[in-house]
Parts: sequence; structure tokens; C-alpha cells
Amino acid sequence: MARSHNPVSRFGLWAVFVILAVLPLILRGYQLRLVTEVIIFSLYAVSYNLLLGYAGLLSFGHAMFFGTGAFAVAILLEHFAGLPLLLAVTLATAFTTATGFVVGCLLLRVKGTPFALLTLAFNALFYAIAVKWSSLTGGDDGLIIDPPQLDLWLLTLDPNKGPDFYYLSLAILGPVILFCWYFTYTAMGRTVLLMRENEDRMRFLGYNTLLARLSLFTLTAGLAGLAGSIYSLFFAFVSIDAISIETTTTVLLMTFIGGTGHFAGPILGAGVFIYLQNFLSELTENWPLIMGVLFILMVLFTPGGLVGIIKGAAQWTASRRKTPDLRKGAKNRHAHSGS
Amino acid sequence: MSDIAIFFLHGLAYAGLLFLVSSGLTLVFGMMSVLNFAHASFYMLGAYFAYWLLQITGNFWLALLISPLMLLVIGALVERFLLRKVHVLGHVHELLLTFGLAYIIDEAVKLIWGTNPHAIIISGFLAHTVNIMGVTYPVYRLFVFGVSMALGLFMWLILFKTRIGIIVRAAVEDSPMVGSLGINVPLVFMGVFSVGAALSGLAGVTAGPLLSVDPGMAGAILVDAFVVIVVGGMGSLGGAVLASFIIGELQSFGVLLFPDFSLALIYMLMAVVLVIRPEGLFGEKQ
Repeated sequence: MARSHNPVSRFGLWAVFVILAVLPLILRGYQLRLVTEVIIFSLYAVSYNLLLGYAGLLSFGHAMFFGTGAFAVAILLEHFAGLPLLLAVTLATAFTTATGFVVGCLLLRVKGTPFALLTLAFNALFYAIAVKWSSLTGGDDGLIIDPPQLDLWLLTLDPNKGPDFYYLSLAILGPVILFCWYFTYTAMGRTVLLMRENEDRMRFLGYNTLLARLSLFTLTAGLAGLAGSIYSLFFAFVSIDAISIETTTTVLLMTFIGGTGHFAGPILGAGVFIYLQNFLSELTENWPLIMGVLFILMVLFTPGGLVGIIKGAAQWTASRRKTPDLRKGAKNRHAHSGS
Repeated sequence: MSDIAIFFLHGLAYAGLLFLVSSGLTLVFGMMSVLNFAHASFYMLGAYFAYWLLQITGNFWLALLISPLMLLVIGALVERFLLRKVHVLGHVHELLLTFGLAYIIDEAVKLIWGTNPHAIIISGFLAHTVNIMGVTYPVYRLFVFGVSMALGLFMWLILFKTRIGIIVRAAVEDSPMVGSLGINVPLVFMGVFSVGAALSGLAGVTAGPLLSVDPGMAGAILVDAFVVIVVGGMGSLGGAVLASFIIGELQSFGVLLFPDFSLALIYMLMAVVLVIRPEGLFGEKQ
């Protein structure tokens, strides 16, 4: 997670920005929808990795926030006619953040494995509430949303049009993802990282580690809620699946396949996952089985994920160029491991 | 009055099933500090194996014996070739591995047996009813409770009264020391994990005639079993017994008293325990 201020990466960032800006001119229809989906799931996965990769907190319940955001925006738009789109998204995100705070207060009393287990139990609770409270959530039928037009001063965006929604999600989620990246370099972000490495020392140094963990948990809940609210607007529909354990599994697979040891890992993972899913589901309806096998193989052999492989390869070529001694190269790979 | 007796007995039967599932989970966690997310999937496999064996042999007792043995072998293979490989990477990777395994098993079950529910039909005296506490009650539900009682007692005897139990508990406390005394510690851990898997298999066979055998049965029991070990205290056998009883009865009477909120009662109990005693009723402080 070294800070990359070299000109190459800054150029890379601008290149990505320009490519994303002109993409709707090149891609149409379904292809553009896939990219939009990748952007939405990127934020979801980035927020998950702030927990898993940065804080070392393994959660099996991130979908409870994604789903809360998704349902909140749908319910708001259904019950308050004429509510502006951005206000609905903001309120849904705020509500999810508050939910995250309450859940965090309960869950963060335990750590490690019990925490992982309880996140799963709470996800099941949220799912059960969503199924039972069908007068509000539509139960198994879900809710159909009619996203209102977004009027800005000069232009009007129609969320039902592919390119419009693409720009909308990019304009909202892109800066938020950049903010997450910035966050990892703030004092707060650093505290979280150091806590993962040695919590006792941080406590001796006078940091309130519980408060730091709670703040991070609340933040990631809000981010997942934002991703969820955009997700349900994107499909103009929200089903009970959005809050299910499968949606947690999805983000876990994305993040891990991409790599937890680097900020870009989850974004890469979201892209690879969605395109792979799209490709595999055309071949066989048992694509989840293939995903599962791929995941197990990666847990066994490449704990650093795709980013770990890329980093390893880069290190290997760099060390090859510098010193003719090959033995030094391949070491130090996968240096990151959770505990 | 007879209503209360019926619901109490229903609660006991469900408590028995919960203990059967959570005993293996808590054994593996207590001895190896590994939370096996695939445990409920092993349980589901146990039920499907029983269904398959029953189709071939037609004998429930044979299924009750062989299905756990099949899971014993699967557990040993999983520990030897998968879990042991990621042990050095820490608990997060162990959790991820068992989670991935659960995902694969759930999909594989759908692929092999389809998504339709199957029924395990029992015959003989297990299918009869008896008069107990003034009500007519199916023998099988009492049998489930009896099996879990016997199992709890058996586990307690093995763990606390035999040499094997001493070795296993010592291997948890200080595995290098036990290893240097000439005991094959990895083999001990393999044994614990495969016994845990076999227990889930036993639970699966037992659950078969009580519930239906379908691909959703793993998810349905997983959360309840997790709540049991959180409330009881992770890794505590006594805690699992008590928590199974509380949750089984709470579930049963919840349906009688508050049909709409019966599910919420269990989660409320979990939340209360978390606030008052985060380590669980019988758990050790972290």
C-alpha cells in the first residue's frame, strides 16, 4: 500500500479519467450497462476492503448495508412523490450510515472469528426483516422504482437512459471512490491500518481503538449503502436478493479475487468478477460452482489476489533488471496476510 | 395445558437438533480455533447421503451409521489437503477457505440432486407415537432429543475422562510441547476436524425425517447454530447444551405466543447476550 506519487501513476489516473469520460461514445447498450455495474460494485467492494484489507475485519454481512441503502432509496421514492433523486440518495445513505453505527456498536464488542460469525447472523436478521416486513419492502416480490429525472442547471439527466445513468453513477461514485483512496492516507486511515498490525501498541499510545474501529465500520456501512442505492436506481427495481447473504458472498469474492493488499484490488476484482460472471453464465447455469472453485484455488495459492500476482510479477522483473542474482527476486511476495 | 406440553416437547426436539449441529461446530472451534463455515453444508451433505443410502438400502439405521462415516472421510480430506495448507496464513484465510467450501458444496448439491425437496420417510417403531405428559407425541422427535443427550454425554466422557481427550486438550494449549512428547499433533487436529464433520453428518441424517432435505437446509440451520455458539460461548460444550435448550424452547414457544416475531426473539436474545456478556454464557473472556 505504498503511496504512489510517481508521474506514471498520476498519468495513469488521468488516462483512466479520460477513458471513462468518453466510454459512452464507444460502448452502447448492454456493454455500457456492464461498465456501470462495475462502477457500482467497485464502490461496494472498496468499502468492503476498507474493513477486510485495511482494518483486518472479516465481515460476512456487508450486504445488510448494501441492501438497506437499496431498499431505503426505493421506499423513499415510492412514499414521497416528487422527492429529488439526489436527495433520496443522500437520505438513503444517511439512513444506512446510522444503521451501520447502531449495528457497529453491538458487533464491535467482539473481534476476530466471533465478529465474522455475528456479521453473518446480523445479515440473516436483516434479510428476515426485509422478508417479513413485506408491506414496506414488497417481500419476495421486491419493489419497482420509477427514478425521477435529475434536473441540473443546464442539463437534464434521465436515469432510464444508459449513457445518462452511466455519467450519473460515475459523477457520484467516482469522487467517493477517490475519497476512500484519500481516506487511507489520512491520520484516521493510518490509525486503522496500524491497529490491524498491533492494536495493543496503538492503545498504549493513547488511541481509542474501539472508537476508531466504530468510525470505520460506520463509514463503510454508509459507502455500501450509497452503492446499494445507486444499484437499485440502476435496475429501477430492488429485490430481496440485494440484502441476502449471496450479495455478501459476491463482494467477498470480488474483493478477494482482486486482492486485499492494494487499494485498486477490489476495483479490479469487481471488473473481473462481473465480466467473468457474464461470460460464464452464458456457458453454464452452474457458474457459481466455477466461481467457488476459483475462489478456493486463490485462497490456497494466491492469497494476495490478482494484485498480488501483478505485484509479484513486477517485483520479479524489477529485481531481474537490477541484479542478475535471481534468488533474491521471488521472496517477499504475499507479504501481506491477515491475522 | 396439553398445548404447553406439545410445544415444550417440540422445543426439546429442536434443541436436540441444534445441539447435534452446534456440538461439532463448537468442538472444532474449541479445539482448533477454526470456525467451520462449511459445517452446515456438511450437515446438508449428511442428509443427502442418508436420502441416497435409504434409496439403495431402504434401511434408516444403516444410513444413520454410514452417512456420518462418509462425512468423517470428507472431513479428513478437507483438513489434510485444504485447511492445513492455509493454516500458516492465519484465521482469516481459514475462514475464507471454509466459506468458499460451503459455497461449492451448496452449488454441487443443487447440481447433483436438483433443487426440489426430498423426504426421508422412516418406518418401524420410530414412526409410531407414544403417550407422554398427557399428549400423543411422535417417537421420532423424542429419538432426536435422546440421540443428542447421548452424544453430549459421550463427548463429555471422551474429552474429559479419557487419554484421547487429554491429548486433544493439551494439543490445543501447547502444540509444540505435545509434539515434542512424541504425539503427532497434525494427526490430532485432522482427527478433531473429521469428527466434527462426522457429527454434522449425524445431525444431517437425524434432521432428514424431521425437516425436508433441500438445498436451503444448510442456510436455515447455519444461523441458528451460530447463535447457539455465540450465546453459549464459543468453544464451550456446556454452553452449547444450555444455549441449544434455551433457543429450542424460545423458538417453539415463540411460535405459540408471538407467531409474527418468533424469529426476532432469537436475535433479541443474541443482542442481549452481546451487550451483557459478549463472550457468551460459558465463554472465556477474550
